[in-house]
Amino acid sequence: MNPERPPVPLPHPAGPLAGYRVLDLADEKGQLGTRLLAELGADVIKIEPPRDGDPARQHAPFYRNETGAETSLYWWVMNAGKRSVTLQLKLEAGRELFHRLVAISDIVVETSMPGESAALGLDYETVARVNPAAILVSITGFGQDGPYARWHATDIVGAAMGGLMYLNGDPERGPVRTTVPQAYTQVNVQAMVGALTALYARAVNGGIGQHVDVSMQEAVANAMDNAQQTWDIRRVNASGPGLYRNTAGIRSARYLFETADGWVAALQAGGLIGLQANAIIDWLAEHGEARGLDAPEWRQKLTSLQPLSPEEREYVEETMAAFCRTRQKEELVAEAQRRGAGWAPVFSPREIVESKQLAARDYWVRVHHEDLGESFTYPGAPFRLAATPWMQRGRAPHIGEHNEEIYCGLLGLQPQDLRRLRLRMVI
Amino acid sequence: MTSEPPTEPALKKPFEGIRVADFAWVGVGPLVSKYLADHGAEVIRIESATYPETLRRVGPFVNDTPHIDGSGYFANFNSSKLGISVNFKHPRGPELVRRLIAHCDVVTESYTPGTMARFGFDYETLRGIRPDIIMISMPLYGQTGPWAHYAGYGHVLQAAAGFNHFTGWEDGPPLGTGVAYTDFLVPHFAAIALIAALDYRRRTGQGQYIDFSQFEAAIHGLWTAILDWTVNGHEQTRLGNHDLEAAPHNAYRCRDGRWVVIACETEKHWEGLKAALGRPEWCDMERMRRRWQRINEQKEIDRHLSFWFEDFTRLPTESALQVEEGVEGPPVRKYTTEEVVQLFQSFGVPCGIVQSPEEMHADPQLAHRHHYWKLEHPVMGLRTYDSPAFKLSKTPAELTRPAPLLGEHNEYVFREIVGLSEDEYVDLLAEGVFE
Repeated sequence: MNPERPPVPLPHPAGPLAGYRVLDLADEKGQLGTRLLAELGADVIKIEPPRDGDPARQHAPFYRNETGAETSLYWWVMNAGKRSVTLQLKLEAGRELFHRLVAISDIVVETSMPGESAALGLDYETVARVNPAAILVSITGFGQDGPYARWHATDIVGAAMGGLMYLNGDPERGPVRTTVPQAYTQVNVQAMVGALTALYARAVNGGIGQHVDVSMQEAVANAMDNAQQTWDIRRVNASGPGLYRNTAGIRSARYLFETADGWVAALQAGGLIGLQANAIIDWLAEHGEARGLDAPEWRQKLTSLQPLSPEEREYVEETMAAFCRTRQKEELVAEAQRRGAGWAPVFSPREIVESKQLAARDYWVRVHHEDLGESFTYPGAPFRLAATPWMQRGRAPHIGEHNEEIYCGLLGLQPQDLRRLRLRMVI
Repeated sequence: MTSEPPTEPALKKPFEGIRVADFAWVGVGPLVSKYLADHGAEVIRIESATYPETLRRVGPFVNDTPHIDGSGYFANFNSSKLGISVNFKHPRGPELVRRLIAHCDVVTESYTPGTMARFGFDYETLRGIRPDIIMISMPLYGQTGPWAHYAGYGHVLQAAAGFNHFTGWEDGPPLGTGVAYTDFLVPHFAAIALIAALDYRRRTGQGQYIDFSQFEAAIHGLWTAILDWTVNGHEQTRLGNHDLEAAPHNAYRCRDGRWVVIACETEKHWEGLKAALGRPEWCDMERMRRRWQRINEQKEIDRHLSFWFEDFTRLPTESALQVEEGVEGPPVRKYTTEEVVQLFQSFGVPCGIVQSPEEMHADPQLAHRHHYWKLEHPVMGLRTYDSPAFKLSKTPAELTRPAPLLGEHNEYVFREIVGLSEDEYVDLLAEGVFE
């Protein structure tokens, strides 16, 4: 073996979760979450079906558009820092091996359809029998029971049934989903809060494990801003406001404006409406573009918090729109911030990668893919713990890359046992 | 009440015995400490009447009448917590808060960088008072860098973090997500970091400081978009309700004006949909055979499906079997929006209704899961609160009380926890420290 080859994953004994072991049998609903646990120091073992590996390896996009089991960027991003073993849970011998892993693990994360986990030896009863201290995290569309428990759910179904999509969209064109899957993202991270809460509960209760039953629908419901209370209190359904904004079910001033080079997000017509409006009116007036809003009557009206007539509001919004249209977004944002208004640019992925703020904080991480002879830029720490730092632990594993390390090193199998298991398609 | 048989000693709630001084406000911070409070921690919201928490001033309000203790927005994020009010600008205010922190395990805050230090609540000072304290700071952009002092809310941070770029139609502008999205994404990241730090402290006795940038966490919600750029030089963009990898994948309007989403990610889903539709000719055409072909043909698929929804859905008041005018043959079966979803689901097709807030409140699945809690609030009355998306089988969440009134627990906190005598407390009250 090339001695210069970095280990996959890199060791992370200084992480706050160092010493814990996690078995990851999750699909899109759990892979991001378990990756975060790996980056906090846990030993996360991805369990994949033999031969073709985890179905998530087929997710687009691919490195240089070359499809293959090791080139999915989805796989890279969601499974970095984990170890991988292959294991066929449909075979008795596979389940037996799995249970030996469960016996030495703290958390098991799975996403099978309710009712189908028992056949795979993944149900809580079985897991608890093998290891009473284990925490089983089951992540599904709607939870383990109830009238929709057996419904099929992908991201957009979670976004729709969880109430977020209704709030998102345009009055003319209807509801829209955010293209990067947010129902999946939400359930990933909320499930891990549950997993760690159960881990803490275990320690204060003499080592008891438990079942953590997570619903994607509920995870999305928790992202409805104040729409839930707005219905509860005002009996109003907020809905997709387009370039505008919902405040407690009322469509309020426009907040997205086109610039010479893109868009900016600027609440309350860029700050032209509100107690601090004078600072923004002055800015436009300095450039001779206030269109009369700097007259005392307008200033009084705009800073008084009294509602404007639809025509007045439109005039104010158009004034801001015209001002933004001829200017660069980052210049606009910098000047608005200097004047106390909380603007931000609408960034694309490229612009996020080029962000000066993130560069100043040394956010990005270079990840070496020694198998390709290249390094790539990955997102960096989502949280910076001073004593027990987050750490990116290298590229995602190849299919079954750690079979020997785990089955022989951890479970004490002999190399000939591995050969036999491989022949029988168990691993 | 006492007739129940003796049971095993009750399990402790996960965070029983953990006390949190919660300076965080608006969305992100309160949602982090809500997790701790709903699972047994004693969370104390530290507020001031001299500079009230933003959400207390934003509705929805009962009868649309603003009231400092009447915001549903504030209430939902602050269940199970206690509340105190302290005037930080009073000479005695900060000192009293530091005395409270000596009795706390965790400090959470989301002010602009530097604010906590101004009142002597920075980590170094607090560590001197309580060596194993865990402190998490959660401003928009982190403690350092040229944007560290930038103001804003989740509505604009979501723009910087890429979510507007990914919301809207391919031929249209970037939209907001309709919510202050990052406010409801990054608290979960922060809670993961905080609970991991708590567990580390439990194991080692060591506390620490966590510098949390909402921006930096939110970027992890962009799925493959960053790597597609850094690896392939390809910029992904918004696709309406379409998807990079699935077709059909869209929302379709039913006769009653509601929308149903359908997602066919696999061949199984597509076969199920074909069967549910009764195998119309168009979906068995050669160019619909493979997933990648269907992605190319998705506009045509959408057109067919839109017609299907127009033709085969009905209002609940209309009859299920309808004779088409001018068409010979037996009556046609038509479906309500709920029946469409039942039909497709029975064929294994991922689908669902785009549910309104009203429908969420009536959703039988959420009711079965007891997602919504009803708590009686002294100003707002019986109101609905959200609960965690995860159910712990042995130590479940419990929303123990509605959101605190401003300063509701001053006496308890300063007398019982800080240990002020009654005279001291009354004197300080008279001096206006608890405002």
